[in-house]
Amino acid sequence: MAWYWEIVRAIVVIVVAYMVVFVAALVNIVFERRALAFMQDRHGPNRTGWHGVLQSIADAFKMMGKEDFRPALADPVIFTLAPILVMIGAVAIQLVMPYTKGFTPRDLNVGLIYIVAVTGFTTIAILIGGWSSRNKYSLVGALRSAAQMISYEIPMLLALVAVALCAGSLSLNAVVDLQSGYRWLVFIAPFTFLIYAIAAISELNRGPFDLPEAESELVAGYGSEYSGMRFGMFFLNEYAGMTIMSMIAVALFFGGWHGPFEDLIVIGGVAIVPFVWFMVKTYILVFCLVWIRLSLPRLQVDQLMGFAWKILVPVGVLNIAGVAAAILWVPQWRVGVAVFSWVVTIAFVGLFDPVLKWRLRRERRRVPVVSS
Amino acid sequence: MFDQFATAEPDEAMQLALRRVAEQTEAGRGSDLEGLELNEVIVNMGPQHPSTHGVLRLVVTLDGELVRDVIPVIGYLHRCKEKLAEKRTYFQYIPIVDRTEYVASMNCEWAYVLAVEKLAGIVPTRRAEFIRVITGELMRIASHQVAVGTFVADLSPLGTAMVFYCFNDRERILDLLEEVSGARMMFNYFRFGGVRYDLPDGWVEKCRALMKEMPKLIDQYESLVNDNAIFLQRTMGKGVITQQDVVDYGITGPNARASGIALDLRRARPYSVYPELDFEVCTGEHGDVYDRYQVRIDEMRQSVRLVEQALDMLPRGPVQIGSLRPPYVIQPPPGSCYVGQENPRGEYGVYVVSDGSRYPYRLKYRDPCFCNLQLFGKLLPGNKIADAVAISGSIDLVLGGIDR
Repeated sequence: MAWYWEIVRAIVVIVVAYMVVFVAALVNIVFERRALAFMQDRHGPNRTGWHGVLQSIADAFKMMGKEDFRPALADPVIFTLAPILVMIGAVAIQLVMPYTKGFTPRDLNVGLIYIVAVTGFTTIAILIGGWSSRNKYSLVGALRSAAQMISYEIPMLLALVAVALCAGSLSLNAVVDLQSGYRWLVFIAPFTFLIYAIAAISELNRGPFDLPEAESELVAGYGSEYSGMRFGMFFLNEYAGMTIMSMIAVALFFGGWHGPFEDLIVIGGVAIVPFVWFMVKTYILVFCLVWIRLSLPRLQVDQLMGFAWKILVPVGVLNIAGVAAAILWVPQWRVGVAVFSWVVTIAFVGLFDPVLKWRLRRERRRVPVVSS
Repeated sequence: MFDQFATAEPDEAMQLALRRVAEQTEAGRGSDLEGLELNEVIVNMGPQHPSTHGVLRLVVTLDGELVRDVIPVIGYLHRCKEKLAEKRTYFQYIPIVDRTEYVASMNCEWAYVLAVEKLAGIVPTRRAEFIRVITGELMRIASHQVAVGTFVADLSPLGTAMVFYCFNDRERILDLLEEVSGARMMFNYFRFGGVRYDLPDGWVEKCRALMKEMPKLIDQYESLVNDNAIFLQRTMGKGVITQQDVVDYGITGPNARASGIALDLRRARPYSVYPELDFEVCTGEHGDVYDRYQVRIDEMRQSVRLVEQALDMLPRGPVQIGSLRPPYVIQPPPGSCYVGQENPRGEYGVYVVSDGSRYPYRLKYRDPCFCNLQLFGKLLPGNKIADAVAISGSIDLVLGGIDR
C-alpha cells in the first residue's frame, strides 16, 4: 500500500470519529433534556422539529453565531487550545471500540490501558482551560477536576485490572469474546462493574460528581469564561463522553455487541445486527446516567476524595484479590468469581447506607446546639 | 495572594476583605506555619451568582476550598420603601408593602395592616380575620415551597426536580390566591378593618380539595431527599446555629425554631384569631441545615391544618368594617406602634409613627432576613464552599426584604 494511502485513510478515520462524537453529543443533549423534563414533570424542548429533535442543532448554530470573545487577561494560546484538546479523548478512544462483530478500528492488545491513557486528555484540557481563563471560579473548577481525575483514575484502573484478569488479555475484543452466550461480566463480576461505574461517572464529571462545574457554587466552573462555540466544544465533549463511557461499559460488562440474530445481516464481513444491540445497550446506560444525575445530590469535595481514597481504592484492591483467587483456585472460575462478587456487592450495598447514616447521626450529636 | 487575580479597583467590601487578610497574615494566624504568606483568594459571589437567590453579594475569602471570611454586601435591591411611606397615605402604601418580602407578600401586608389598625384602633370583622388566616397560611406554604425547592437546588441537580415539584404545587396555591385577590404575587388584598374582596363562590371547596391533597404532596417532597445518604451527608451537622446565636443575633422564624427555641409569634404574641386555632410549633433539636429544612417541611403541614380549621370555622358576615368600601383615608392619632407578625421567615415587624396626619410620619421594618443575614459572617467561615452555599440556602434569604 502506498504511503499516501495510509494518510488518506487516517484522515477519513479521524473525520468519521469526530462525526461520531458530534452526532452522539447532539443526540445526547436532546435526549437528556427530554428525559430530565419527563422526570421533572415538565415539557422540555419540543418545538424544534419532531418532538424537539433538532433542538441541539439549532443550539449549535446559535453558538457558532456568537461573538468569539476572550477575556483580556486570559492566556490567548492556551485559552484557545483547551477547547480543541478537550475532544481528543472522546475521539481517540474510538480506536479500540469493538463496535460490532468483525469491525474494530484497531484491536490493540493493550486496549484497556489505552482507554485509561486517553481519557486523561479531557482533564488536561479542562485544567488548562480553567487556568488560562484567569477567573477564580474557573480555577477552582479546574483544580477540582484535576483532583477528581487523579482520585478516580485509580479505582477505575483497579476495576479494569479485575476485568483483564477475567479475560486473560488487555484487548477489548478478548473481553467481548469472553462474554459470548449471555455470560456477561456484569452478572459474573457485579462488584467490578459497580466500582467501574462510580469511577466512570466521576470521570465524566456528571451525576453526583459534577463538582468541576457545580453551577450553584462555581457559576459554570471551568467554563465560566468560555462562550460561543468554545463553550460548545466543552459542552459537546461532556455529552459525547456519556456515550463513549457507556460504550466502554457495554463492551466490558454488558456483553459488547453480543445478542440474538448476530449473523442475520452481514455486509463485507461486518455484521449489522450486533451493532444495533451495541447501541441499544449503550443508550440504556446513557438513560441510567441521566437518571442518576437527576436523583442524587452533589457530593462535596472532601466527601468525594474520602470516598475515592478511603472506600473505593481499598475495595478495588480487595476485588482484585478475590477475583484473582477465584480464577486461580476455583476450577469453574466463573462460578467462583460470581459467588465472591455477588456476596461482596450485597454486603457493600447493604451495609454502606446504614453505616453512613449511623455515623452521620453520631457526628451530628457531637455538635452542641446549646452553648455553655 | 495571586497577583494575577488582583482586581483593578477594589471597592469598599473588597478592601475590607483584603485588609482582613493582611491583618491575619501579619498576625500569622490562619496559616499552619507561622509567618508564611497566606494563599487566600478573594472571590466575589454575586450579585449575579446562581445560588444567592437574588442580588446578595458575598465577598468571600477562600483558602483553597475553605471559606475563611465572608462579607455580605447588600443594597442592590434598595427601593426606598420606608421613605416612600412618608409621601403616601396609609391606604396608598399597601401595595408597596407587598414588594418588600415578595415571596410572602400576603404576610407582609398583614403585618402593615395590623400595625396601622392597632395605631388607629380599628377592629377588623370576624370573617375578615379568618380570611386573613387562610390567605396568610396559604402564602406560608407557598413561601416554604420556594424555600425548600431552591435550597435543595443549591445542593444538587436533583434540586431541579424538587424545584419543579414545589413550584408546580405552588402554582396551584397562587391560583387560589389569584381567585381571591386578582393577583398572583403582589396581592394588594388586605385593607384596614378587613380584606378587599369576599371569597368567590366555590372557593372554599377548591381550597379544601387542595388542602386534602397537600399532605401527600409534602410527603412526596420528603421522599425525594429525606432518606438520601448524600443529602444527609451534605446537611447533617453543618452550619449549626446555637441557641446563644439565636439570642445574640435576633434570629427568628424557622431558623430559630430549628435550634430548639419554640418562638412563634402566633403563639408568643398572638394576633388575629390564632388563639382559637390548634397548631403545633415545629422545632428541631440540632439547629443544623437538615433541621432547618425539616422544620420548614413540618410547618407546611401545620399550615395545612390551620387552613382547614379556619375553613371549618369560617363565619358569615361582612369582610370590611362599615360600608362596602374600605376606609380610604384614615388619620390615626399621634403616636407610634410596633407590631411583629410571624412571617414565613421570622418576625416581620412594622413600626409606624403617626403625627395625626393622613401620611405616616415614619415607617420602619424589622425584617427577619436582615437579622438572619448577620449570621453569615459567623456561620460560613470554616466551611467548604459547597457547605457555605448549602447553609446560605437553608437560611432562606429574600433580598427584597433586606434591601427594602
